[in-house]
Amino acid sequence: MDETALIHSAQNGDLDSFNTLILHYQDSVFHTALRILGDEDLAQDAAQEAFISAFRSISTFRGGSFKAWLMRTVTNACYDELRRQKRRPTTPLEPETSDGEEMDSPKWLADPNMTPAERSEADELEHAVQHCLDALPVEFRTVVVMADIQGMDYSEVATASKVPLGTIKSRLARARLRLRECLRGFEELLPSSYRLQEEGNR
Amino acid sequence: MKNFRDIEQLSAYLDVQLSPSDSARLESRISADPELASVLSDLRAARSILRKLPARKAPRNFTLTRKMVGLKPPLPRTFSFFRLSTAFATFLLMLTFAANSVIPRIGFGAAAPMAAQEAYGIGGGGSGGGCEEPCIQSLAVPTEAPVATEAPAAAELAPLPTEGLPSASEDTARVGETAIVETPMAKELENASVPQDPPTVKNEAIIPIAWQVGLLVIGLISAGIAFAINQNAKRKWG
Repeated sequence: MDETALIHSAQNGDLDSFNTLILHYQDSVFHTALRILGDEDLAQDAAQEAFISAFRSISTFRGGSFKAWLMRTVTNACYDELRRQKRRPTTPLEPETSDGEEMDSPKWLADPNMTPAERSEADELEHAVQHCLDALPVEFRTVVVMADIQGMDYSEVATASKVPLGTIKSRLARARLRLRECLRGFEELLPSSYRLQEEGNR
Repeated sequence: MKNFRDIEQLSAYLDVQLSPSDSARLESRISADPELASVLSDLRAARSILRKLPARKAPRNFTLTRKMVGLKPPLPRTFSFFRLSTAFATFLLMLTFAANSVIPRIGFGAAAPMAAQEAYGIGGGGSGGGCEEPCIQSLAVPTEAPVATEAPAAAELAPLPTEGLPSASEDTARVGETAIVETPMAKELENASVPQDPPTVKNEAIIPIAWQVGLLVIGLISAGIAFAINQNAKRKWG
């Protein structure tokens, strides 16, 4: 895939070229949105909005890392979604039994495709990490998602976040420290491979 | 707990973002300070667990359609031409309506007395003054019975000596036979009143209706063609 040529064509209004870029980046974009928002439906909406917005403003792309530019668009879409949620917080429906009483342990909240027994290590890890990510301030969350989950380097994260490199370093350090503290509470849920690695590190 | 500057340095060290000299200095500190080594281990563990997180694939494709981004199909030049001609024809049509309704009012308002005089064929002040439209009408409709009472008015209009003509009293006696007093003046008046409804002549449209119909047809045809071109382009665009 000649990314530069596709970007150039997209800047001239060629939607097919832009769609090729979308197919290449959609997993990263969706995953980033999912980790920032912590909700699959909202992440889908944010990803779609981000791509629409990216196509409309692709003429403003002046070179450099396209992924970083795209990540800035998706983080902006996520911030918009979070602001919207803040303005109109939703109240989850309380599940009821057949007698009309509230359920103490709503099983319906779990993904219907997996029971606790069937959960794989990866799923346990994912839930624990997402819980801890959600507890982070959104600026820290965004930085740690881009740097540690998407594997972007500091300069790309700085471009995507529109903050100086020093701020990225600082936010990343704080975020990692907080995550480590939070994940301690899930140690028994974490995959054995992780625990072994921990022991090895120590 | 180390100060935050140290933690930041350790985090950057993990990502190989420190200069070689800073890295070497930090490494020597880490080997000498177990607390610093422990913090580094914690940071590494946190980073490791994030990197182990399974990458989630997009549950669907996010490719865009032209409709989603509001793209419009490329239209041929002929579309612009027909759209322009529609607009132009509509504008001219409106202009003709405006001209037909406004100009006659302005023009006729000022020239109305003159036009009426011309139409009636009677001169300025000396024609009896009070004999206006009703008077003429009475002369023009001679066979009506009520004319009998108006006959003296006609006679008054023609008080000239008329030898051989019966007197006024005789006129009234013969009213039953005919209401017309055939004096030369009356005849003249009758002739003058033949071209009826003079104001309608002056109210005639400035722009002929044929032109308006033509403009309307041009506008409609152009609009139809432009619409067809647009629809065709949209269909081809998908």
